[in-house]
Amino acid sequence: MWAYFKLEFFQFMRNKKNIAIYVILLFFSCYFAIKIAPTYNPIEKVEVNEIEARYETREEFLNNVVINDGTHHLTRYAAAIFPEWNEYDKQRLDAINQNNLKEYAEATYKWYAYSDNMIFYRGGGVLYYNPGYYTFGNNYATMDGHFGYLYNASRYEGYTEVNSDLTINIFEERTALQTLQRLLNSYLPLILIVSCILFTVDIVLKDRRNPTLLQGLPLSDWRKLMVKGFVSLLGSVLAIIPLSVGLLIIGVQNGFGDFGLPVPIYIADDIFSNRMMWEYLIQNMLLIIFWFSLIISLVLLASVTLKNEFANLFVASVLVLAELMYFNRGIGAIKDFHWYPTSYVQVGQITSGYRNYLYASEALTFGSGLAIIGLCTCMFLFFTFLLSNRRKFKLL
Amino acid sequence: MWNMLKTFFILEKSNKRNIFACISVAIFVFGLMFFVKTEDLGNAVKEKSGEYQSLSSALSQYQNVDATDSGNGSNLYKNLVLQQLLVSKQRMAIKMDRPELFMDAAIELTDLRTKSFGMEGFDNVESYLPSKIENQLDRVFYDYMNQTGIPLSIDSLTFFQFLSYLFVVLGSVWFVFISIYTCGIMIEDFQHTSLIKGYPITFDKYVIAKSIATMLIVGVFIVEIFIFSLPLLYFKGVGNPSYPIPVFDGVFTVYPIYKYIGVAILYMIFISIFTILLSVILNVLLKNMYLTLFVELLLFIVPMLFPNMMNLIPYNPFNYMNYSHLLNGQTPDLANPVVLNATHGLIYIGMSIVLMVVAVKIFLTTGKLKRV
Repeated sequence: MWAYFKLEFFQFMRNKKNIAIYVILLFFSCYFAIKIAPTYNPIEKVEVNEIEARYETREEFLNNVVINDGTHHLTRYAAAIFPEWNEYDKQRLDAINQNNLKEYAEATYKWYAYSDNMIFYRGGGVLYYNPGYYTFGNNYATMDGHFGYLYNASRYEGYTEVNSDLTINIFEERTALQTLQRLLNSYLPLILIVSCILFTVDIVLKDRRNPTLLQGLPLSDWRKLMVKGFVSLLGSVLAIIPLSVGLLIIGVQNGFGDFGLPVPIYIADDIFSNRMMWEYLIQNMLLIIFWFSLIISLVLLASVTLKNEFANLFVASVLVLAELMYFNRGIGAIKDFHWYPTSYVQVGQITSGYRNYLYASEALTFGSGLAIIGLCTCMFLFFTFLLSNRRKFKLL
Repeated sequence: MWNMLKTFFILEKSNKRNIFACISVAIFVFGLMFFVKTEDLGNAVKEKSGEYQSLSSALSQYQNVDATDSGNGSNLYKNLVLQQLLVSKQRMAIKMDRPELFMDAAIELTDLRTKSFGMEGFDNVESYLPSKIENQLDRVFYDYMNQTGIPLSIDSLTFFQFLSYLFVVLGSVWFVFISIYTCGIMIEDFQHTSLIKGYPITFDKYVIAKSIATMLIVGVFIVEIFIFSLPLLYFKGVGNPSYPIPVFDGVFTVYPIYKYIGVAILYMIFISIFTILLSVILNVLLKNMYLTLFVELLLFIVPMLFPNMMNLIPYNPFNYMNYSHLLNGQTPDLANPVVLNATHGLIYIGMSIVLMVVAVKIFLTTGKLKRV
């Protein structure tokens, strides 16, 4: 068994296709670190001018406003809510001018919490979130802003309790670990899963070229399949190495961040709770490995039944892309899409709870993801096991 | 040659790759139908309320002041207030079912936007408004609608409306699909080189016959797209085949849907031939189907990763592989604007095809082939 594992692993590593995938991943991670990451422009920046402009306009209004019987109700409203708001803005300004980042985090946390409360529940079409959310064609800008402000409130609250040094780069989520966190929320899981598909797609069928060589091995077909699956799981996990090169480059430029930094997790009903960075990354890693197993078991099953590489590619990509067909914002409130394994393909968004927010559901959690994906993997493996134990079965 | 083709058809008939490619085309068509339905594309009410919201947030950057002509607001502020007014008018027109009012407001709106681009302080509100190109496309669209009096379509799932959307999406993925489909075109034969060497025709004839056979199967895929869209005829109706689609073709103009589909199919055929020949050459050079696939996809995305290259080498056929990008005028909107013309694209791709055929004829012989 061990000898066969070594044989398969060396074949895997010397496969031109697999080497090409590693090289391409390396190229993309460097391209990202050098060309795309520096242009990252977060909506919620640490910008003194913006705070100052807002603070001074409101302060001037508060100093000059005269409230009497004829005052417009919106003016009264503004006069009622601006004092507290401005108090937070003033604290932020003072803290950033004295370079006291801990205090800035404290004031900013309160500012975001207060702002969201005002804009979302009492905005009434006159108060808006940061204009960065309202881009042309975005019909869900208010919902995005709501999520963004609560997320930031939770994040800054976490910074007040963190022991490590704070920097502006941490506030703007530019450090290497935070970049990784952001990428996990967008297309990194898809890149990893697609690489896994490409690694696995020919692992069984490549033996068709020299079938006689392998017929003499004293191993059952099922065990051979397991070894092959394990090799491609290992290979897929190794894809992290070329990707981490880009992370190193970002780390040198913007700092590495800290494993103790808070990552806000959306629970339900506008409640966030913070998790440590390392905890969040381990959860993601675990869920991605479960995804790898699901993909590999599916491709193994497809390999022994359909016996065509193109068919493997097709079946696996349907699994990855199926969510596009039914996903719609808020659809989770109507239908139970959390039973579909395909709903969990955006791994980072599942663990951070953002997917729950998009689906308007509470069931798309890390735990249910593990359970459903694990269950599907077992199912596929079981079918493969049954098939491979039939008397007529031929591996190739 | 004819016998060779017949042999290939017998071989391809039982190839699982073709069956799965057919299924994936079918899934693509049906999936897109669901996508259009769930995303509610073409719902004017939804689009207009989004537009209204964007304008409100653009206006939130200004102090509220008198927006009449004699008022003391800046020109851009007055312009934005008028735009918002027109968008409200359009929303009202949709609800009241008054298409002519909608159309007038739309034309006035594009005029206002054209004016706003040159105004002072436009940079601050740029992200809330459609880009210059989008605005110009809107303009030609509404002008044409106004001239011809075609009623505004609201159902994007009628047969022709859906096809027009389908071919726009296909423009971005067709090259990728064909390269996945053809990346192993010669590999299976290379595993038995003695077979190829035994054929009673020369290698270049063999390659051409193989390409023709593959091309005919690709033709089947294109026919399949139409066949699988047919259920919409029954459920949603035909739609208007001469409904305009605004395009950029060197100048801003409109194509009726049937013309757009025609151009799209022409492009798809050219791209398919191009990709098949490219796959053949790369198969011979690299002797590995996945390497072929990766090289093709890399060549495809290089113009997107480094847009300046388009300016430098406008005759690179890979600039034209995504025809829907080409036709919706994204290329003149880049930092380094470059005007790519759809007709030129066909010429460049055609020339590359000729070059590759010549290369196959001159350089590829069976003598040097080795078993993979």
